[in-house]
Amino acid sequence: MNGMSRIVKTITSIVFPFIMIFGLYIIAHGHLTPGGGFQGGAVVASGCAMILVAYGSVWTMGKIKEKNLSILESIGAICFIILAILGLGFGTVFFKNFLVGSNIIFGIVPSFGSTISNINTAGVIPLMNFAVGLKVIVGLFGIVLIMAYASRRRDNK
Amino acid sequence: MILDIIHILLPLLIIGSSLFAVLLKDLIAAAIAVAAMSLLLSLEFFILQAPDVAIAEAGIGACLTTAILVIAIKSTKRMEDEK
Amino acid sequence: MSKRNLFALIFFVIMAVFLFISSLMMHPFGNPEETNMDDEIIENAQIETGANNGVTAVVFDYRGFDTLGEATILFTAVAGVMIIFRRMNK
Repeated sequence: MNGMSRIVKTITSIVFPFIMIFGLYIIAHGHLTPGGGFQGGAVVASGCAMILVAYGSVWTMGKIKEKNLSILESIGAICFIILAILGLGFGTVFFKNFLVGSNIIFGIVPSFGSTISNINTAGVIPLMNFAVGLKVIVGLFGIVLIMAYASRRRDNK
Repeated sequence: MILDIIHILLPLLIIGSSLFAVLLKDLIAAAIAVAAMSLLLSLEFFILQAPDVAIAEAGIGACLTTAILVIAIKSTKRMEDEK
Repeated sequence: MSKRNLFALIFFVIMAVFLFISSLMMHPFGNPEETNMDDEIIENAQIETGANNGVTAVVFDYRGFDTLGEATILFTAVAGVMIIFRRMNK
């Protein structure tokens, strides 16, 4: 799949930062607003797939190597499991939310009812959102990128 | 009142675009019909007050599935064989 | 009618009857039945997990094993795609 015309590339370059900001906002505010790691990761991966369609798979594969995608996805999965096991170490059970009520980070407990949202709440949930978000971004974008690159090779033969 | 009309109209549009996806012989047009069905389905989820499911459906169903289908069609044949 | 078509017809009729009965027994639209699990989670999620978004509190805290399984499914899917297409990329 080669790149598209100059108009499409320009419009893609203008729109791409807004899609990235929206997706990263959904990931970072996962414990306050609707959404979370999976949904925000799907939005960011959609933006990256738009870059892939506009600029062509050869250009994108030159920018991002396949091995880096594998490493990033493994980092996301390992962070998620390590956070779960830390709940076993510091708390009592697997997936224990051990940061709630502590003074380290994300430790404030809001009062019951509809309150003003504070991003410094919810304990271990934002960290898990970041881990799952990284994993979903790299996973979904990696599937599309690798399939596009493989189909490009078959066209040339 | 207008919400009732939307509740009746949206499933009919979803069924219509699904029928287009099954019946069309041009496979790229069928993939676009699947994308339209996913977008209408995400709108239906949003009206039924499930915004996170709507975000996931709009991201995965309308964008990534269409991209994968178009890539797969591009490396095989475009028209469905009539037998 | 052959024996295979007869079995298919019987299976189809049984499934249709089940679906029809279950569609008659559905709740009215927009009025789910209240259960104890709902009230428990709605009352305690904000205090116990500290998250204002109850859905995320359920997904990442109360039902963390489901999210772990979902992450495993995604990892397996990506690994399978990379294994299949790596030979074509060389």
